[in-house]
Amino acid sequence: MVNVNDKLSRCFALAFPELDPSQYSTASTENVSEWDSIAQLTLLTLIGEEFGREIDFEEFEGATSFKALAEVLQVQ
Amino acid sequence: MRLGEALQILGRAGGERKMRVHLLCGFMPLHLETFIKAYLTLRFPGTSSSLAGGLYGDLEGNIQGAREGDGAIAVIEWSDLDQRLGFRASAGWQRETLDDIVTQVEEKCRRLEAHLIELAQKMPVAVASPSLGLPPMTHLPPSQANDCEVRLNVILAGFLQRIAGHGGIRLVSGSKLASISPSNARHDVKMDLHAGFPYTLSHADVLAEVSVQCLFPAPPKKGIITDLDQTLWKGILGDVGVEGISWSLEDKSQGHAIYQQALASLADSGVLVAIASKNDPKLVEAALQRPDLLLLPSQIFPVEASWGVKSEAVGRILEAWNIGADSVVFVDDSQMELAEVAEKYPGVEGLRFQPDDPAAIVDLVWQLRARFGKSEVLEEDRLRLKSIRASASALRENTVEPSADFLVRSEAKVTLETASADPRAFELVNKTNQFNLNGVRYTEAEWKALARRPGAFLATVSYEDRFGPLGRIAVIGGYREKDRCYVDTWVMSCRAFSRQIEFQSIRQLFAKSGASEIRFRFKPTDRNGPLQTFFAHFFNGGAGAEGELQLRPDDFERLCPSLSHQVNDKWSM
Repeated sequence: MVNVNDKLSRCFALAFPELDPSQYSTASTENVSEWDSIAQLTLLTLIGEEFGREIDFEEFEGATSFKALAEVLQVQ
Repeated sequence: MRLGEALQILGRAGGERKMRVHLLCGFMPLHLETFIKAYLTLRFPGTSSSLAGGLYGDLEGNIQGAREGDGAIAVIEWSDLDQRLGFRASAGWQRETLDDIVTQVEEKCRRLEAHLIELAQKMPVAVASPSLGLPPMTHLPPSQANDCEVRLNVILAGFLQRIAGHGGIRLVSGSKLASISPSNARHDVKMDLHAGFPYTLSHADVLAEVSVQCLFPAPPKKGIITDLDQTLWKGILGDVGVEGISWSLEDKSQGHAIYQQALASLADSGVLVAIASKNDPKLVEAALQRPDLLLLPSQIFPVEASWGVKSEAVGRILEAWNIGADSVVFVDDSQMELAEVAEKYPGVEGLRFQPDDPAAIVDLVWQLRARFGKSEVLEEDRLRLKSIRASASALRENTVEPSADFLVRSEAKVTLETASADPRAFELVNKTNQFNLNGVRYTEAEWKALARRPGAFLATVSYEDRFGPLGRIAVIGGYREKDRCYVDTWVMSCRAFSRQIEFQSIRQLFAKSGASEIRFRFKPTDRNGPLQTFFAHFFNGGAGAEGELQLRPDDFERLCPSLSHQVNDKWSM
């Protein structure tokens, strides 16, 4: 899980450069105003690059928080 | 470039200078936008680039809506010409609809043509034609081209040919794209259907890079210094003699012929070509007279053939050309020679010629084209070599710094012309380093905006003497406010030094404007030493730090040397 969180944090740093790293773990579409549908696509593409896997958008449907994304990635 | 790298580049971007570029497309720009911004940042360090987009599905409206900007990149896909040619539409590909699609595409191309030409009046435009294939819309197997596809391609080719003929529009090279982005790895169908973004990341990256290069080409380098043995020709001249060296298919040395043709073509577009060879000078002279040589002797200057070290020969060539080392490429088959020159002249870019690898030679020729290619060949490009030869000959007749008498005997003529729409003025301002008032570079849009300022003036200065013409070698520009002239653009080609043209330019500006004072917006740079030396004539202690330098006509005339040019005035102010 540590590895997934670290990699995911790197994606967040690029997708949301204004966000303080201490806020990553609690970040979601509810509390990050920049996190819109375009940012979600960018984030998922960065995850694809960082984790070296092809992203299936349907698998990540509803994964709109750091925690939820980490859980999907952990399962994979 | 990966998307993560592009975002990292954007994270570090910033600067006082702002730049606005339009990305005109009918799909969601998404990652293409990110990559374009990243490549703009790399192309213009210290500049904040903003990318203006438009509405999804409305390429035509987006082109019409583009107003102020430094440039525009229009990315066209087949679905922009008719939605039925994309995968997000479901109107069917029945036989009877195909004729209608062709008709619609033709009409759309006509409208886009008009809008793009109008846009190009305001800013430079790079146009990328469809880089994705047509959908499988006919009954034919994929291996057989269908009539509809052929008709659509003919319409597209006609459209591209028509817009390419208009100044301000540049076509993104499909061949260049094809060489680095395979056609079967461009379309991301999943992303296209999910988000309306049709490209794979790798294709978006390549398309962005090539489009930015097309819109804002890097300033071309100016000179190539080439080795001879095993580079310009096959064989060691000293061993095999003049008739033993070769560059032909029969002699299995065609790679050298390819290289010679490339050099001749570059020389024809104004690139300087010189030779640095460890060889017997007499043998070299004889070899260069061979009538089958594809690079003409008249296209080469100077020829440095001796047994001395290469870097010394390179130094003498740089001196003869009077250009900076970073404008020069040195080609040699020997890694040792490349390293020796690199140590003495780190600015000179060394490229290795690999005589036994024809593919590497073709690649080298492409690399040269990338470094020396230019959108337009001007009269000055053709004059450059001639004037450098003439200068060398003139200086041999005299000392390094010509005397006033010598200038009188040279029958020097200076012509000043209004230059608002002269592409040569824009080119000179953006490539001149040594005699440059402040080192400021401009985009085409910024350049046009300068000319629209109230009281704006801009003149080119041409020079000619009995040794031949130099062409347009200086630009002076700024604006007039009340009885003052503010000069914020002033450059002169290094080929024109030592002819007192800079003094004559100022005298003419005073005369033409009637100004009681000229204020120069000066900024010292690492490379504008010659300009600073000139200012030392008029300002105690030299030009000093960045700021406005004031010169009054009486002070100018008191300190100006006697000038003997014949002045031809075609400058209206």
